[in-house]
Amino acid sequence: MFIQTLITGLAIGGIYALMAVGYSLVFSVLNFSNFAYGSIIMLGAYIGYYSLTQLGLPVPLAVLGSILGAAFLAYLNEKLAYSTLRKRNASSLFFMISAMGTAIFLENLVYATIGSRFYAFPEVLTRDNITIFGTSMGMLDVFAIVFSFIAIYALHYFLQNTKLGIAIRAASYDAQVSQLNGVNINKLVSLVFVLAGALAGISGVFLGMKYMVYPTMGWITNKAYIAAVIGGLGSLPGAVAGGLILGVLETFVSAYVSSVIRDVFSFSLLIVLLLILPAGLFGKYLEEKV
Amino acid sequence: MRAKWLIFVLAAVLLLAVAGCGGAAKDDAIKIGHAVALTGDSSMWGQSEKNALEMEIEKINAKGGVLGKKLQLIAYDTRADATEAVNVTKRLVSQDKVVAIIGPGQSGVAIAMSSVTEPGKVALVATTATNPKVTMDDKTNKVRKYSFRTCFIDPFQGTVAAQFATKDLKAKTAAVIYDVGSDYSAWLGKYFITEFEKQGGKIIANEAFRSGELDYRAILGKVKQSNPDVLFIPTMQKEAALVMKQARDLGITAKFLGGDGWGSPDLITLGGSAVEGAYFVNLASLDDPDIQNFIKEYTAKYKQEPVLPNPVMAVDGLLAVVDAIKKANSTDPVKIAELLEQTKDLPVLTGKLTIDPTTHDPLNKPAVIQEVRGGKFIFKSKFVTQ
Repeated sequence: MFIQTLITGLAIGGIYALMAVGYSLVFSVLNFSNFAYGSIIMLGAYIGYYSLTQLGLPVPLAVLGSILGAAFLAYLNEKLAYSTLRKRNASSLFFMISAMGTAIFLENLVYATIGSRFYAFPEVLTRDNITIFGTSMGMLDVFAIVFSFIAIYALHYFLQNTKLGIAIRAASYDAQVSQLNGVNINKLVSLVFVLAGALAGISGVFLGMKYMVYPTMGWITNKAYIAAVIGGLGSLPGAVAGGLILGVLETFVSAYVSSVIRDVFSFSLLIVLLLILPAGLFGKYLEEKV
Repeated sequence: MRAKWLIFVLAAVLLLAVAGCGGAAKDDAIKIGHAVALTGDSSMWGQSEKNALEMEIEKINAKGGVLGKKLQLIAYDTRADATEAVNVTKRLVSQDKVVAIIGPGQSGVAIAMSSVTEPGKVALVATTATNPKVTMDDKTNKVRKYSFRTCFIDPFQGTVAAQFATKDLKAKTAAVIYDVGSDYSAWLGKYFITEFEKQGGKIIANEAFRSGELDYRAILGKVKQSNPDVLFIPTMQKEAALVMKQARDLGITAKFLGGDGWGSPDLITLGGSAVEGAYFVNLASLDDPDIQNFIKEYTAKYKQEPVLPNPVMAVDGLLAVVDAIKKANSTDPVKIAELLEQTKDLPVLTGKLTIDPTTHDPLNKPAVIQEVRGGKFIFKSKFVTQ
């Protein structure tokens, strides 16, 4: 039972990590929490669902469709909701309000057009399971963990070893100084949103396959947000660690104490952590966290 | 925020009421109210309920109506929401002056509506509200004079499920996973446990989750370790489908069992192959020989199958109300309610309807056990209370 719980925790934590990386990426450059991220994940899940069921695409193409679609939506989100604020040098509070507005708008748009029904992805990988150390694990979970880590690693490689990646990292230290050094900050911000959107597309498809697709599914990103804060907002390794820690701890609380108090536990953890380590486990110290 | 919203709704209702008064026509039709969820998560059953009632009323009117008058259905959307339902009930009672109300289908909504129908002295005949408190006021422990229903109640449903598990499935051990945020789920789970233990079975895991939960693998890990013969999941179709999917992923081999909350095609689309071979207690089944004529007529008229059990329960309610109007020889809602209480051996869709005057629940109401097989609900057997 211990190993079973641990593996389940890692599977849940893997998805938290993927979403938390998207949050942290945007935070590292723009210094605000993009609450519209959950809605982009939700729309990514709908894109994946419709490409599989309505267009009849094979799974890899449907995943690719979600990645591209969500990346494009994240790009639009930045252009429509944030770029004007950015040009006016608005404080991060206004970005956050704009992000919340976008989240509520997109959610209600789906209610009004597609409706409140729940949809499930067709069964592609879900029914098979494999046995590790005497515990069962769904093939989908294995696939999700592996794919999440490949995506996170690819992003990490991109940020460390390419010119654009270095520009993003430079901007995350100081956007104005990097601009003075010839970095086109507008293009860079768009790129950051496209990358975060691509991760949102992957998360959306996995969430849809594992659970189901519905308009308010984006709120699961609350957990990803906590994970990002635990790891230190703006830090990508921190987001991964935070996601895994939260996933495993939650699963142990559900399994050994009670599933009913699980959220009481995660949110208390957040508060306590912010009291002791305001910058999270790996974060650089910043005044504003929320 | 909420208060503002309430004021807004009240103002809107008042405006509508004022507008309605202007055109109060003097028509001779007998008005029957219908409080039903036409939008939202329960709309699929609600729409079907309304279709069935309209079809039945058309038939009655074609035969000359009741007491020489035509019947008229006035249906309002409750969105399965208690506040909304109270508003539309006020409108039905004080403005439309209906003789009785069919619906709602949800226990919580029915209990809220009785705060209007009791002082307003108009009977409500709930369709699928299975909680005992719908017709019994738990503060005074007396029957609510104007609340009736045509469905069985949860204690009975839990009993049927437990007896089916021990007798037909030969289960010795069972685990229960319920939604702590839903009265329906928590109580149905308790009724199941009581009867299962009475039948000599053993409950080896009883786990709760919070409404809206998506991941059940942590608690399912515990269930897996206790390895029960049967896993009872007294929730709505969405949670049940997720629980079953994740249980099979973890390699749990127990048989799945549920209540009438499962009775939606969504169970199969959401649960896929994991729900194959699951059993659940329901109010009516498409294969039930007693309702074949109704299904044929409905399908011919609306080009789709009715979404059971609501339409059948609603028609049973309508037939009881019509019978009460005839016996009362009047359209006085109070007299109608008095005669509804005396309903005895009335032929309705699902068999014969007798209302127990002490509880306002139907007596000898059969329950149907359905099995999920080949992506369909198959009629397994029928249980009758004694």
